[in-house]
Amino acid sequence: MGLLAHNAPIVFTFHALRFTHEVSPMKENDPLISELANIVGSEHVITDPTSLSVYECDGATVFKALPDVVVFPTNAQEISAIVKVANKHNVPFVARGAGTGLSGGMLTVNGGIIIALNRMNRILEIDLANQQAVVEPGVVNLWLTQAVQDDGYYYAPDPSSQQACSIGGNIAENSGGPHTLKYGVTSNHVLGLEVVLTDGEIVEFGGTVEETPGYDIRGVMIGSEGTFGIVTKAVVRLLRKPEGYQTLLGVFETIDDASNVVSSIIAKGIIPAALEMMDHFVIRAVEEAFHWGFPLDAGAVLIVELDGIKAGMQQQAEQITEIFNENNCRETRYAKDEEDRQQIWKSRKSAFGSFGRLAPNYITQDGVVPRTQLPKVLRRITEISEKYDIPIANVFHAGDGNIHPIVLFDERDADQCERVEAVNMEILSACAEAGGTITGEHGIGVEKMDYMPLIFSPEDIAVMATVKDIFNPSGLCNPGKIFPTAESYAKLGL
Amino acid sequence: MSNSNQLREDLIQIVGEAGILPDDRLNRYTIDGIGPQAVVLPRSTHEIQEVLGYAADSKLVVIPAGSGTKLGVGNPPEEVDLVLSTSRLDQVLEYEPADLTVTVEAGIRLAALQAKLAEHGQYLSLDPPYADRCTIGGITATNASGPSRLRFGGARDLVLGMRVVQSSGTVVKSGGKVVKNVAGYDLNKLYLGSFGTLGVITEVSLKLQPLPESERTILLTFANIGEAVNVASEISGSQLLPTFLNLFVNSAPLTDNPEPCLLIGLDGHPETVEWQIDSVKTIAQQNGVFSVGVYEGQQQQELRTSMCTFPEDGSATPIVICRANLRKTDIGDFVNTTLEVNESVSWRVRATGLMGNGVVYVIFSDFPDGEVPVQHVADILANLRDAAANVGGNLIVESASAALKRQIDVWGPVGRSFELMKAIKTKLDPIGLLNVGRFVGGI
Repeated sequence: MGLLAHNAPIVFTFHALRFTHEVSPMKENDPLISELANIVGSEHVITDPTSLSVYECDGATVFKALPDVVVFPTNAQEISAIVKVANKHNVPFVARGAGTGLSGGMLTVNGGIIIALNRMNRILEIDLANQQAVVEPGVVNLWLTQAVQDDGYYYAPDPSSQQACSIGGNIAENSGGPHTLKYGVTSNHVLGLEVVLTDGEIVEFGGTVEETPGYDIRGVMIGSEGTFGIVTKAVVRLLRKPEGYQTLLGVFETIDDASNVVSSIIAKGIIPAALEMMDHFVIRAVEEAFHWGFPLDAGAVLIVELDGIKAGMQQQAEQITEIFNENNCRETRYAKDEEDRQQIWKSRKSAFGSFGRLAPNYITQDGVVPRTQLPKVLRRITEISEKYDIPIANVFHAGDGNIHPIVLFDERDADQCERVEAVNMEILSACAEAGGTITGEHGIGVEKMDYMPLIFSPEDIAVMATVKDIFNPSGLCNPGKIFPTAESYAKLGL
Repeated sequence: MSNSNQLREDLIQIVGEAGILPDDRLNRYTIDGIGPQAVVLPRSTHEIQEVLGYAADSKLVVIPAGSGTKLGVGNPPEEVDLVLSTSRLDQVLEYEPADLTVTVEAGIRLAALQAKLAEHGQYLSLDPPYADRCTIGGITATNASGPSRLRFGGARDLVLGMRVVQSSGTVVKSGGKVVKNVAGYDLNKLYLGSFGTLGVITEVSLKLQPLPESERTILLTFANIGEAVNVASEISGSQLLPTFLNLFVNSAPLTDNPEPCLLIGLDGHPETVEWQIDSVKTIAQQNGVFSVGVYEGQQQQELRTSMCTFPEDGSATPIVICRANLRKTDIGDFVNTTLEVNESVSWRVRATGLMGNGVVYVIFSDFPDGEVPVQHVADILANLRDAAANVGGNLIVESASAALKRQIDVWGPVGRSFELMKAIKTKLDPIGLLNVGRFVGGI
C-alpha cells in the first residue's frame, strides 16, 4: 500500500512550501489503482511521478503537494464509485477543475486521489427563455458566455482567469471577478447543484427554480472549497447582455486621488458594473510587458465601467469624468467601441501575467475592506512593504474594497520567505482591523488557514466544523483546508 | 402559584416587567390556535442567552420572532411555550453611507431602517409586506422578499453577515460586514430562511442601494391573461431592467380591477426611466394592451405599498395563500390551472405572479359563510402542487388555518436532501429548543 492514512503529519513551513508525505510510486497492481482503473479505464488514471507533478499545485504555485494518483471520470456515477473506493481504502480525495485556484484549495496535502473534472466539460442544456443553463463542472467559465453571446446573453461571474477556470472550481470557491460590484458572486448565479456526497451518494440541491423548501444547502455548498462533496452538474443563471457599455480609464497622480474618485462615484448614487484600480507598480509592469501606453510615472489607473440601458448612460459617464477631473486626473480615455473596451479589460486582466518579470515568485493576497478604508489600508500596505523590504504591487477591485496586494519574492531566499510570511500576516491583520475579511474571492485553502482566527472566534469556527462533520464525517474529502490548527493560534499569539 | 405565574416571575427576573408582553396582547402571537405561555422581549444578547438557558432547563419550546408577521408560516406546532421576540433590539449599529452597507440589530423595523437610510439617499432594496412592522431579523429568518427582488435579489442576495445565538446560548458570527467574503463556509445561507429553527438572529449586516433619481410605475390592463403573460415574457427577455414585473389575475392592488393587469416598476436615471416607459408602451401596444397608466408621486406610492402587501389584506376572514416557485415559462400554464380551479369552486381565487422570478401566489378567500371546506381546499392545493412539481417547481402553503394545515404538508417534499437537513437541525439545535416541528419534514 503506497498511501499513508489521511491523518499523516503535514510538514509545512514557509521555507519548504512543499507538503510532504512518504510516497512510493503507485503500482498498477495496487488494489486501489486497479479498482480506480476499473471505473474510468486505465488510460484515465495517472500514477507516474512525472505526470503527477502537473497536479501538485494550483495557481498559488508556491504551495505544492504531490497526489498519489489522478483519475479522470466522465460522469457522476463514476465519481460516486471513485469516492466509494476512496472510502473503502481510507484514502483522501480532492476534486480539481482547471487548477487556476489561488489558495492551494486542491492540494492533496496528505497525498491521495485527485479527481480531475476536465473530461466533464459539456454544456448540457441552454434554456434562454428561462435564462439558465445546465453545465458539467469542467466547463470553462468563458465557454458558457461564448455559447450564448450571439443570442445576447452571458454568464456574469468573470474571474480574471475566466479563459481557463472551470465553473465547478468557481462554485467550490464562490468566485467573484471585476463585475461582482454590480452583479454579485457565483452564489448569486447558481440555482441548482447535483453533488456526489462524501459517501458516494448523488443528491440534488436547489433546481431550475429560484427557491426550494428547506435549508439552502445549495448555498452552503457554494464556497465550501470542495470539502462537502463534488459538484457534478450545476444549473446557472444567464443574464441578458446589457444594451450598452461605457468604459472609462483614468490616470491619477496618487492612489488617494483614485480612491476618492471611487467614493465620490458611489456617493453620487452611481453603481458601476466594475471599478478597478492598478497602482504605479502594476502600471509599470503592465506597461513594460504589453505597451498599453500608460505613463510610467502615474500613481494609479482606475477603470470604471458602466453597463445597462444606453439612455442616460452618457450623462453618468460625464458625471464620472467630472469626478475624475475634480481629483487631479491626468488623462481620461474612453473606450470608443467594443474592441477598445476589450483592450482596456485585457490590460487589467493581463496584469497577473506581467509579474513574472518582476520576481521569481509572488503571492496574491485577497483581503477585503470597507470601501472607505481603502486609502488607509493601502497606505498601511506601503508601510509594511518598506518595513520588510518586500515589494508589493496592488491591482484590485476598488468598487467592493477587494484588494489584491501582490507580494513579490524569491522562494530560494529563506530570509525573504520569512519576511513574506510576516508581510502576509500584517496585511491580513490590517484588513481584519479595518472591519474587513481575509479573502474576498480566492478562498482560504491551505494558504490562509492560519489567519482564520483574525476574523472568526473559536466558537464561530466550531460551528463551521460541526457543519463540515455533517457533510464530510470521515474527513477524507479535501482534508487539511480552511480550519486553523493549534499552530495557527500559536503563530497569531492567541 | 400556578405554573404560568411561576414562569412569568422567572422571566421577569431575566428581562424585567417591560420585557414580558401583557397577557391581553398575547393573541397576536397565537399560532394555529395555540397561544404562547409568554412572549419575551429581551433587550440584549445577554438576556436572549439567559432566556434560552432558562427555557432549556425548563424544557420549554422557544419560537424566535420579530414582530410576528410570519409566525403563522409552518406546520401547526405541538406546543408553543415561549415566543422570543427580538423587536426591542432595534438599533442601527454601524452605518457608513459611502460603504453602501449597514449593520443593524435584528429587531429594527424595515420602515424605520429605510427612514434612516433615506437621509443619506440610500435604501435596502427589499419590499416584503408590512414594512412598518416587519423586522430585519424576521426578514432574514424567513428569507422574505417582495416584488423588487427581480432587480436586486431577495434577502439571500443582500445579507452579508449575521450574529446568531445558538440554542446552547453561544453567540456565533457568520459572514462579515463587507460585500465580498469567502472566508470559511457561507453559513449565512443556512440561517436565511431557516425560520428560527437554528438560532436566534440578533444582528444583520446588509448591502444597500442608492435611492433612484426617478421612479415610475406602469399599470397595463389586458382583455385576457395570455396577452398579459406575453407582454411580461417579452419585457423580461428584453434589455429593459424593471425593478418589478407583477401580474395580477382576478384583482389588483387598490383598484380591485377584475381584468388581468401588469404592474411594472421602472427606476433609475430619469432618461433611462423615460426610455423604458416608451419601450414598455411599444411592447404592450404590439400585444393588444387594453389600457396604459403611468403613475408617479403619491398615487405611485400608494400603488406600490398596496402591491407589496397584497394579498395579505389583514382582514380577519379566512384566507389561504400559497406560493409556487416555477420557471418563468411555466407561469402561464400554472395561472391557467388556477383559473380552471376558479371556475369549479364556490370561493374567490386570485393570483399574482412575479413574472421575472417565476413566482406565483395563489389566494383563496371569500369562502361561503366564512367556512373553509378543509378537505376540498386541501385536495385542490395538492393538485396545484402536483402541477408545479410536474414542471420542476414546488408549492409552499404560506397561510392557512390549523385544520387545513393538518390536511396538507405546508412545505411539500424536499427529496433526498432531507437527511442532511435533519442532521443540520440536530447538530445545530441538539436539545430541540427552537421552533420545533414546524419546518420541512417536521424538523
